[in-house]
Amino acid sequence: MNRPTKLLNRKTAGYSSLITFAVLLLAWLSGFSSRLFAVIRFESIIHEFDPWFNYRATAYMVQNGFYNFLNWFDERAWYPLGRIVGGTVYPGLMITSGGIHWILHALNIPVHIRDICVFLAPVFSGLTSISTYLLTKELWSPGAGLFAASFIAIVPGYISRSVAGSYDNEGIAIFALQFTYYLWVKSVKTGSVFWSAMAAVFYFYMVSAWGGYVFIINLIPLHVFVLLCMGRYSPRLLTSYSTFYILGLLFSMQIPFVGFQPIRTSEHMAAMGVFALLMAVAFLKHLQTVLSKTEFKKLFIAGALIAAGIVFLMVVLATVLGVVAPWSGRFYSLWDTGYAKIHIPIIASVSEHQPTTWFSFFFDLHILVCAFPVGLWYCIKKINDERVFVVLYAISAVYFAGVMVRLMLTLTPVVCMLAGIAFSCLLEVYLKEDNTVSIPKADETDEPAVEKKNLYDKAGKMKRPRHDNSHEANGLGSNLKSVVIIAILLMLMMFAVHCTWVTSNAYSSPSIVLAFHNSHDNSRNILDDFREAYYWLSQNTADDARVMSWWDYGYQIAGMANRTTLVDNNTWNNSHIALVGKAMSSTEEKSYEIMTSLDVDYVLVIFGGVIGYSGDDINKFLWMVRIAEGEHPKDIRESDYFTDRGEFRIDAEGAPALLNCLMYKLSYYRFGELKLDYRGPSGYDRTRNAVIGNKNFDLTYLEEAYTSEHWLVRIYRVKKPHEFNRPALKKQERTISSPSFVSRKTIKRKKGYIKNRPVVVKGKRANKK
Amino acid sequence: MDVKLVLFGIFLLFCSSHAVLENEAETLVLLDNLAIRETHSIFFKSLSDRGFKLTYKLADDPSLVLSKYGEYLYKNLIIFAPSVEEFGGDINVDKLTQFLDDGGNVLVTGNSNSGDALREFASECGFEFDEEGSSVIDHLNYDVSDAGDHTTILTTSKNLINSQSIVGKRDSVNPMFYKGTSIIADKENPLILQILNGHSSSYSYNPNSQISSYPHGVGKGTVLIAALQARNNARAVFSGSLYFFSDEAFTQSAQFAQNEKFFKKSGNQDVATALSKWVFGETGRLRVAEVSHHKEGENKPPSFYTIIEPVVFKIKVEELSGNTWKPFQTDDIQLEFVRIDPFVRTTLKKVGTTGVYQANFKIPDVYGVYQFKVDYDRTGFTHLYSTTQVSVRPLEHTQYERFIPSAFPYYISAFSMMIGVFVFSFVFLHMNDEPGSKDEKKSKDDKKSQ
Repeated sequence: MNRPTKLLNRKTAGYSSLITFAVLLLAWLSGFSSRLFAVIRFESIIHEFDPWFNYRATAYMVQNGFYNFLNWFDERAWYPLGRIVGGTVYPGLMITSGGIHWILHALNIPVHIRDICVFLAPVFSGLTSISTYLLTKELWSPGAGLFAASFIAIVPGYISRSVAGSYDNEGIAIFALQFTYYLWVKSVKTGSVFWSAMAAVFYFYMVSAWGGYVFIINLIPLHVFVLLCMGRYSPRLLTSYSTFYILGLLFSMQIPFVGFQPIRTSEHMAAMGVFALLMAVAFLKHLQTVLSKTEFKKLFIAGALIAAGIVFLMVVLATVLGVVAPWSGRFYSLWDTGYAKIHIPIIASVSEHQPTTWFSFFFDLHILVCAFPVGLWYCIKKINDERVFVVLYAISAVYFAGVMVRLMLTLTPVVCMLAGIAFSCLLEVYLKEDNTVSIPKADETDEPAVEKKNLYDKAGKMKRPRHDNSHEANGLGSNLKSVVIIAILLMLMMFAVHCTWVTSNAYSSPSIVLAFHNSHDNSRNILDDFREAYYWLSQNTADDARVMSWWDYGYQIAGMANRTTLVDNNTWNNSHIALVGKAMSSTEEKSYEIMTSLDVDYVLVIFGGVIGYSGDDINKFLWMVRIAEGEHPKDIRESDYFTDRGEFRIDAEGAPALLNCLMYKLSYYRFGELKLDYRGPSGYDRTRNAVIGNKNFDLTYLEEAYTSEHWLVRIYRVKKPHEFNRPALKKQERTISSPSFVSRKTIKRKKGYIKNRPVVVKGKRANKK
Repeated sequence: MDVKLVLFGIFLLFCSSHAVLENEAETLVLLDNLAIRETHSIFFKSLSDRGFKLTYKLADDPSLVLSKYGEYLYKNLIIFAPSVEEFGGDINVDKLTQFLDDGGNVLVTGNSNSGDALREFASECGFEFDEEGSSVIDHLNYDVSDAGDHTTILTTSKNLINSQSIVGKRDSVNPMFYKGTSIIADKENPLILQILNGHSSSYSYNPNSQISSYPHGVGKGTVLIAALQARNNARAVFSGSLYFFSDEAFTQSAQFAQNEKFFKKSGNQDVATALSKWVFGETGRLRVAEVSHHKEGENKPPSFYTIIEPVVFKIKVEELSGNTWKPFQTDDIQLEFVRIDPFVRTTLKKVGTTGVYQANFKIPDVYGVYQFKVDYDRTGFTHLYSTTQVSVRPLEHTQYERFIPSAFPYYISAFSMMIGVFVFSFVFLHMNDEPGSKDEKKSKDDKKSQ
């Protein structure tokens, strides 16, 4: 790939653009098609949890128009609080797919909105690879850009969030992120107001699409700040940053969900501080040209002191008066990884907020994770304004990816870019032989010029390895070169194979439909319990029935069953979730009080004990307890749910609080009678590999309404208060003990019995008492 | 509800002679022996005069059935069979409780030797009959006709429950005869009403044995007649005395043995009649005929409300009187506007005499899903419970005010800035003498900074 671009001269510029075009097109196509595993294996459906809400919101917008969507008050979510959807959502995703839908319909192409939603992320992955190409081209060379574009098209770290059906904000946000960075780099390079205004416009798109925009609004000021510290101030920087910041600030405040946050929260303060700093520096630079040296020195010291004092006072005042909100919990958890576990269990409970393992770095990035430091090294070695940016991008993204699995996503593009640079440089070295003459001619990009300049600056250091390399290469002949090239190509091939394998095995499951291989006859079985149960809900319950479930399933219930939910994946109200958690972890009697106060009609639990599904509610149960404990420390204590030895077990030795809580009962109701195996004991839980401890119990306040085929979803109906028509006196509560009752009636003789009644016997005189 | 109303209308057209609703007239009477039918004829006659269709059966009759093919044959059940140990035919305690849970009304009387079947059934409703052989004894307030163990007691109207719909006019009731056992009521049970208690001097024990343990009923705590109004508004009355409903008790004159106060007629008949009216649903029955709510100035309910809107809520409550539903008159019905907790609680105002109650209030400044909740629970009346769910949404983006007065300084500063920049650039572009030199200086600056 690199060789042809290097070979080009002006006469063959046409080839260069043809190859660029062909490579990008192929990257788009391969990226698109490798994201289709889920659609081919299953069907064109929306995946997982959040996408269901996005889909529902998009469908609502397409149906009712944008303004109704903006003002949408969803009374079916967060019963009875309701949710203002328009004000609590990043609307970029819905507007994008709604816009596509509108254009297609204007062209008389009738496509269902669901299909647009399903295929949106794969289509945008192509745009992402193009913008990655552009950004890398700005930073290094077109060849590296093509590498980076091809990498990002198929890298699992990005595919994990953008397979067909994974209709989530990240799908379009990565494109917006890369393109904003491209425009920013471009504007820093040129100092043009046009490019920085464009950067602000795409920043606006990013703000409308994903909460990760905070990454941009901190990284760009960081870039500016580091440039200032390095003494690389230039009027170009002043122009681009001040334009970008002011426009970006105004734009971002137009999104209702963001509102006044950019001027009121700590996360955005860095950008404002850098803006002020940049202004001060520019002012000083200006003074420097006007004043003499001694005057300037005095003024500088006085001015610096005054400015420092004012800034300090302002910050203190603003924080004390509460104008500037302190850091939100999610951001604290980025600095202190243990913070969330102690203070905000609801954040820690999400699996994608866990720290990343080494394994997943390799799993998601494969060979790129090794090539990435090389590219980083090259960038540091040949530093210039925009490479400072990519270095900062790389370092911060690596840090964040180490803190949260989820942020692997922001690391992936920069890894692809730097790996692209690394591979491009490698090939440059090892493919140089045939065309040593033509290299100096390839001066279309400004990159060789920079190289030269740097070479002059640090001649001693840079020249030697280059010479050595080429000498060695020349000396060892073409054999070694071809060996190295073949090795590189093999690695890249293995990368492609790995990417396809990971995509097909790990990231293409819609998670609402499960598939497993039957080892006996090698057939593929589909477990469609989720949709089965949601469909049952939608067909068999009242339209305004309220379904209580753990918050993971809120969006799915709303999206698929169209029923009112109490809590959902938009975890904005911790105390409401804690109330549901308390209901799940209390005894049946206590939770009935909570459920009646919340008007719950049905309770839905996910139970994996029959098929060995590990993501079920019992495995999530400790989080419910922890979240409930956070709000109701008097009623719920986590230690009650462990055995004396601190184990969480569901068998006969389990803690009594666990064996009698609502979640346990709902999960294992009637499970004690079920024999999964002819030889095994009844009530054997396959997920936790234990026989359950509380087998024969009855439910008083709930009754089983539906259990799906593999018991994966169990739905219970909550009895209404009037169904407990009269509190009866139980046997042990009575003051007068009554003898156990034995009926004297038989099938044939149905006569009752009245005591002291004269019995008429024929032929005898009645006995009078 | 509508179907019911229509049926009710048709029914009104066809029979207006009866005092009870026709579909509620079927009554089964279970007796110890057929003699009771004669000894309690006044009570039964008053029932059949009011339109009840009485079917008399022996309690151990092998052909007894309550329901056929899932339909109940009777709406009401009278058990005047104190000593029944086991009901005959299809009836047993489970069937009886099921009958109650499905909305049937039951009147049960026991006596000093109540049978096990009755005890079991009573326990299901939260009562117990006192131990076998025990009677309510009152050594101060017994009738002159008493045989000597002071078990034919007289209890006065001030021991009756204070509810006109259950016992009629309480103050004009003469002392009542009572002969039988006491009832132990579950104190935890909120649905139980103690209708008739003994005097402070009464207690319940076996009159033929020495007192060796504390009696189960003492003083005013001796419950003679108690009732249960279940959550489905089915009613059950338990009396410890069958004698209370007998012709003898109805007609006999009463005289306190101690102070020799004489009453020509006992109050039994009045109370028994009122009680039977209540238990079989002739009195104290309310229903919500109509609920409506709308914004002030409109008359149709909107699909949603917006915060801080004034709203009007109306509810029409009716009471059954004879066999027609008539407006119910009171002044203590309250309305709550609830979202988990009540945000508004107000007393509904009566509108004329039509039985319509109305409240006007402003919706709170909190969005969410609310319920208009009317929960009217008064002794002797049906439990009225009506909830209507509405959603209250926040202001739309066009509903906020366009210009805020306090922001005028900012408007002025913005516009003055714009004008100023315009004027400045105009001056800058056109008043400059040497544009060339400035440009040079600027480019110099650039170089320096680089």
